[in-house]
Amino acid sequence: MSMSDDVKIIQCEEAIRKMLEYIDEELHQHDHASMEKHLESCRECYSRMEFEQRLKSMVKDSGSEPAPPGLNKRINKIIKDY
Amino acid sequence: MLIASQTPEYDRLDTPVATPLTMGSSKPKSSNRAYFEANIESCLGRLYGTALQLTRNPSDAEDLVADTVTRGLDKIDTLIDCNRFIYWLLRIMTNHFISECRKIEKRTGHESYVEEPENDEPFSLYERLHQPFLLWWGTPEQDFLNKTLTEDIRAAIETLPVNYRVVVVLSDIEGMSYQEIADTIDVPVGTVRSRLARGRSLLQKALWQHGKESNLIDQKKPGQ
Ligand SMILES: [Zn+2]
Repeated sequence: MSMSDDVKIIQCEEAIRKMLEYIDEELHQHDHASMEKHLESCRECYSRMEFEQRLKSMVKDSGSEPAPPGLNKRINKIIKDY
Repeated sequence: MLIASQTPEYDRLDTPVATPLTMGSSKPKSSNRAYFEANIESCLGRLYGTALQLTRNPSDAEDLVADTVTRGLDKIDTLIDCNRFIYWLLRIMTNHFISECRKIEKRTGHESYVEEPENDEPFSLYERLHQPFLLWWGTPEQDFLNKTLTEDIRAAIETLPVNYRVVVVLSDIEGMSYQEIADTIDVPVGTVRSRLARGRSLLQKALWQHGKESNLIDQKKPGQ
């Protein structure tokens, strides 16, 4: 498997530094692969990653709030009067 | 032009706009207006949700959505790609919000309202919780999150200086990529990256402070 041979080995320090960008899926392909490889073998970083991921999804869930019923009417009026 | 600098790489992102319709500059101006009127209603929930996260006040959030609609109508000619309608609206909204906040900052002299001074140490909630003396009791990180309420998260977002709040909301709630956030608020991607890192660090710090104040963390142990 030449693919996995090409994956750069990284240490915890680098994994922690790149963790949020990994979760955001913003790392370049090779960095992403290095992270995955590290997380497969490092329980400590894996547990940190799970924590950060769960916190991120809690922040996401905190954002859902239905628009109040009167808003639609107000917006329609703005458009009509414009 | 508001979204004139778009490049094809954004095409991978889907928007909730119902009718895929790309408009060229040769189209009559009134078709933009018609598209706006036909689709604004389906965007209101998302606009309001974002506005509420930014302003943390239902009545301010409604005003922000209303201002966004008025400004959108003012700038209707800058709506180039209707597939990006919601992002075009979010861009108008966040920029209007930031500029209003800058006015408040100027008026009140409250310096860290929009921007936080740079001398702050990065803060990791995980590291604070994941300590040997706490680990005796199982998994303190998971326990902490189990006890954290939606209201706690919202209150923590509210404490963020505006520049950081905006990137956290656009990334973690709106699910935008770093490049999309950069295009939305007109800053380089590197700035988005650093503000997001800092914003999350401040958010975690606020959650930690709140956790200590509301006894979510056992403070009787050493090191607290
Ligand atoms: Zn590790």
